[in-house]
Amino acid sequence: MRAAQIEVTSLGKRYGQVTALDDVSLRVGPGSVLGVLGHNGAGKTTLIDILTTRIRPTSGTATVCGWDVVRFGEHVRRQIGVTSQFAAVDESMTGRRNLLLFARLLGAKRRQAKARADELLATFGLTEAANRKVATYSGGMRRRLDLAVSLLGKPKVLFLDEPTTGLDPVSRTELWRSVAGLAAAGTTVVLTTQYLEEADTLADEVMVLAMGSIVAQGSPAELKAGIGSRTATVTVSPTDAERARDALLRAGMRVRSHDHALSVALAAATDVPALVRALDHAGIAIIDLTITEPSLDDVYLALHAGGGA
Amino acid sequence: MSRHALRTRHQDDDAPTLVIAVDRGSLRLAPDDDSWGGAGFLTQLRVLSGRSLRTAFSDYRLVFFGLLQPVVILLLFSQVFAGIGDMPGVVAYDGYINYLMPATLVMIAMTTAMGSGAALLSEIYTGWVGRLRTMPINLVAVLAARTVSDAVRLIVQLVVASAAGVYVLGFEPGGLAGLAGAIAVAVAIGWGLSWLFIAIATWQSKPELMQAASFVVMFPLMFSSSAYVPLEAMPTWIRVLSTVNPLTYAIDATRALAVGMPVGGALVAALALAGVTAVLGGTLATRAFRAG
Repeated sequence: MRAAQIEVTSLGKRYGQVTALDDVSLRVGPGSVLGVLGHNGAGKTTLIDILTTRIRPTSGTATVCGWDVVRFGEHVRRQIGVTSQFAAVDESMTGRRNLLLFARLLGAKRRQAKARADELLATFGLTEAANRKVATYSGGMRRRLDLAVSLLGKPKVLFLDEPTTGLDPVSRTELWRSVAGLAAAGTTVVLTTQYLEEADTLADEVMVLAMGSIVAQGSPAELKAGIGSRTATVTVSPTDAERARDALLRAGMRVRSHDHALSVALAAATDVPALVRALDHAGIAIIDLTITEPSLDDVYLALHAGGGA
Repeated sequence: MSRHALRTRHQDDDAPTLVIAVDRGSLRLAPDDDSWGGAGFLTQLRVLSGRSLRTAFSDYRLVFFGLLQPVVILLLFSQVFAGIGDMPGVVAYDGYINYLMPATLVMIAMTTAMGSGAALLSEIYTGWVGRLRTMPINLVAVLAARTVSDAVRLIVQLVVASAAGVYVLGFEPGGLAGLAGAIAVAVAIGWGLSWLFIAIATWQSKPELMQAASFVVMFPLMFSSSAYVPLEAMPTWIRVLSTVNPLTYAIDATRALAVGMPVGGALVAALALAGVTAVLGGTLATRAFRAG
């Protein structure tokens, strides 16, 4: 096995009486994506701040690319790219100027900086807006520019703190594709999110934080298996409701009915066609069928229930 | 490494197309060894100062009111307190404006220095500083760039205010060299003080608190000095206070230079003040900034 890009052991951060992070341990291998899932105040940003050398832990150790984040912060900073919750770009300057500025700070020569800026602008669909002030950018464009800035130094490890919060669905999907592309190319990614769906889509490994502690850790599949499942909600005509319920029960499904809508817990991928077939056989018309992913709240609920809380 | 290509195309042809083709031949997003490890201190200082200056001058309304503010204060003070011009200790200056103008230069320097602290604090709040902290960037360069760009801005302000003094309010400097010397001293003092206010900013948690605290510090310092009224006219306790108020020496030096009188030890005291505040503020600010 190759050496871990990020190795965290019993990491903790206290502010006086407040524990922001408590006994967190994790390993992230090269090119893999770690999703850190949790609500506001769960400790996600504290973890990112420590790993990106912005704050010091009060206990435990953390290394990024083999460098201790406290003692060798300077080395860590050469290896990482960071995109924070709020796009930290200069609004009074153009997108291109922002990129040039950060490239120069990183030590690029003028011509290198220009080439790299143009390359990134093109990659993130910002070429046309390159010479406009960032103040005129949409939320999605700003995030893309922010991501472009964090990629200037070709980082080995990329940290994304809630990269899609506040983005519209199209921008969110675009950002997901960018992150997936980067990970496929070998960049290690740590991403925090409040959305289970996002962690599920992007992460190889998910860690759930609550009040500074890890409450669950594993692959998205393991996590979802632990919390139960997706739910199919079937709407049928009121006169069919009773028969539909019986048909699904006969097919061996877990059904709850409210009025003429039936909720079915989906255990396997084949459950959706099975569900449709069962209703079709019974001659029942499906008016509507929606499938909902479990939310972060479902994760928390399941974990609390499992822990006997 | 295998080639990965991800493409999204929207149905609408005009919509932006995002293409990420991760391939070492075309776009190199992949980590590799020729990444830049951070520019030298001087380059970072120059780039960051240039950026601060561009930002400061990017909004013409801000520039306009920033330059107008000291002129308005100068106009008000010179008219409202014109009677001070006949007092002993001021009468030798041949008009209150000649007494007031140099003190105003120092006051502008102090206000700008306060602005350095406020600007740094707001950049901490917007996450700008946070981003710099995650990059291979020298933190001293980040702080120094703030003081350098504000010093440049201060020179512009002082020149404009002096010109307004001369052409609008009848200020008569002792000579161009003297006036330039006075401006130089004011810039040195403003630069030193900006380090002090930056130090305060790194220790503070709230912008409002910073403003309130700066206000409480600034006004007593200005009024317990020889800035507006000669010391002889003040109650004894303020006169005592004024002898330990470093601004008194700064203002005395600026005033002597501006009107062409012998400057003496006040110049040494003023430059020492600039040096001490810079070193003290710089040390405190860097320590607080590094600790995170």
